[in-house]
Amino acid sequence: MLRAFAILLLSLGFSLAQLKVVATYPWIGEMVREIGRDKVAVHVIAKPTEDFHFVVPRPTHVAKLRGADLLVINGASIEIGFLPPLIQQSNNPKIQPGKPGFLDLSQFVSIIEKPERVSREMGDVHPEGNPHFVYDPHNIPVLARALGDRMCQLRPSDCPFYRSNLEDFLKRWETKLKEWDEGFLRLKGLKVIQWHKTYNYLFLRYGVEVLGTLEPLPGIPPTARHLDTLVKEASGKGVRFVILESFRAGQTRPAQTVAERVGAKVVALPSDVGSEGVKNLFELYDLMLKRLSQ
Amino acid sequence: MRKILLAFGLFTLSFAQLTAMEKTQRGPAPVDRSLELSRKFDDRMRAYRPFGQTALLPDISFILDFSLVGRNKKDEEFEHLVIPRLWHRHHDGHGHGMLNEKRGFNLNYGELFLYAPVDPYFDLHATIPFSEHGGQIEEAYAVTRGLPGGLQLKLGKFRSSFGRLNAQHPHAWDFATQPLPNKVFLGDDGLVEKGLQLNLLAPAPFYLLFGLEVLQGENDQSFGYKGFTIRSTTGTTFSLEDRNAPSLYTGFVKTSFDLGNFSLLTGLSYAQGRHRHAHSDHGLDAKSRLYGLDLTARYQIDSVRYIAFQGEYMFRDQEGTRYGFDQQGRVTTRAVERRQSGFYAQLVGRLHKQWRAGLQYNLINKNDVKVDGRSVSTPDNLPAYYAMLEYSPTEFSRIRLQVGENRAFHEPLGGGRFERKPVKEVILQFNFAIGAHGAHPF
Repeated sequence: MLRAFAILLLSLGFSLAQLKVVATYPWIGEMVREIGRDKVAVHVIAKPTEDFHFVVPRPTHVAKLRGADLLVINGASIEIGFLPPLIQQSNNPKIQPGKPGFLDLSQFVSIIEKPERVSREMGDVHPEGNPHFVYDPHNIPVLARALGDRMCQLRPSDCPFYRSNLEDFLKRWETKLKEWDEGFLRLKGLKVIQWHKTYNYLFLRYGVEVLGTLEPLPGIPPTARHLDTLVKEASGKGVRFVILESFRAGQTRPAQTVAERVGAKVVALPSDVGSEGVKNLFELYDLMLKRLSQ
Repeated sequence: MRKILLAFGLFTLSFAQLTAMEKTQRGPAPVDRSLELSRKFDDRMRAYRPFGQTALLPDISFILDFSLVGRNKKDEEFEHLVIPRLWHRHHDGHGHGMLNEKRGFNLNYGELFLYAPVDPYFDLHATIPFSEHGGQIEEAYAVTRGLPGGLQLKLGKFRSSFGRLNAQHPHAWDFATQPLPNKVFLGDDGLVEKGLQLNLLAPAPFYLLFGLEVLQGENDQSFGYKGFTIRSTTGTTFSLEDRNAPSLYTGFVKTSFDLGNFSLLTGLSYAQGRHRHAHSDHGLDAKSRLYGLDLTARYQIDSVRYIAFQGEYMFRDQEGTRYGFDQQGRVTTRAVERRQSGFYAQLVGRLHKQWRAGLQYNLINKNDVKVDGRSVSTPDNLPAYYAMLEYSPTEFSRIRLQVGENRAFHEPLGGGRFERKPVKEVILQFNFAIGAHGAHPF
């Protein structure tokens, strides 16, 4: 009897010991797993096959948010279309904005393309700037440290464990970072067209030139007239790739049309961990480099 | 904002210098300083407001709903149509009222939304729809942000969480018209009541929500606590007082599961209250119970495309007394029992980022009315069907074409007889949203 009780307590203790984390995107979930390993239980809201702007606010996520100790978001308004109602429905005081259980990663990196003025006539512009900062591999160590700090704050008893995992992750990352820097820098001057301003952080860091987007304005699907103008402007300038995110696999036609007319090739880049067979954060950048180096 | 801060800094700095100089009583008086300050006020500091609170403005949005309606019935004729023993037009002008009421152009509503956290403990939401003639508060409620144990309390006036569609604002509906069961059992404005709601999100690995509501009971269709006075043709009157309020209680349970790209949300709802309702020479006082079952199933094909089924069934059970007058103006009472039910089922697909299409079928399948234990002949096969095609240039604008026929409408012939008057409609609906409008839940 006493033993059964002890086992019950132990197992209860174990489930309590796990820090329950909800991450909005798979790459954030990956970072949490790298730092927390078996001492965290992670639930990821967005699927890698989903457009990161239009994630379905399924009630299942509400159930996961209810018990969460920590909610980690990308921020810069990218989750505005699905996360606020989920947080409001979660009935969980710990993860409300402003509480230690709410972590907005966009607070830790410098955001590019912050508009001087915002109006919806400009399409779906985020007032905070471009939220796709994950595609600069140099941002990851900063974000991982911020995440580690917050996890330590919430669970001081596991802090040494988190710290050593974090150091291990950062060491592996630094090594790969050298490799990526070398590889991506070889692409300097490469000319591309992309669907949305998704990969601007990557292109800005490594000097890849973006000649335009298939979208006439952020969030507005390509129109024939815009594509015509784009083709006229980009023809003869040596555009190599027309880039789209892997979740747009079902809508490659406008990309194909433009690519054919400017003499470029359509390339799908993985949008997140889990897309295009990418298993972790390292493979995400490996595959981006591979696809752009062809 | 940064400019204001900078200006504020400059100002305090120079002010500090000024007082420091005065204190030391040394050096020449700062003649040009006032000039400098006034110049700064003139250009850069024109917008300087030391107590400005613009950063604390709530999220404000405004939604316009406008439509062009073609109908096979003239407005005067349409106005007199009823759904036998279930619905007739109320001319009270509250809330949204009936949408797409007139042939030709309709300004259905211009709706103002406000939202902001009140403090660390409460959020406040307000919905203020304006018609052409004025505005009213449809919703204004506070929701707790930090109750422990998965609890949440809602206080104020709000759309009840009974069923699926009722809690949604009309601009979030998939069709331009309200489904029949919602219309006849909850009314054209829906079940919107003053009261409180307590809900509990169960600590389960799946979504499981329990809720209770205590509401005033001011619904024209099923739950009215207000008393009435009826008057016979001979001039005699009969009155019933207001019931004790709050008089309406609802309870609901909702649950949801995911199977890959397939999500299911289903719920059971119950509402119980009294219903007092009268027209010139007759009135009803009844115990009113409403049961609801709803089901939403959505299959996400990819990040843009999906197919969604949504259906709701409602059953109303009323037992009470009908008050009237005989030829001599004496009060008569009759026992009335009404058992009525209906459902809607719809399929909506988004097959392109900007295009959606859908079909909706509505049916009132049960309309049993007994007076003094004897059945009254009542039409009970009351369908309505609609098809819609929608084009949304962005999430903020939408153009919807809806065609359909409502075969529930009847013309009252007097003496309890009705003649079916199918209403065919074409509606071109425009919906625009500006400002900061929160995302909608699933």
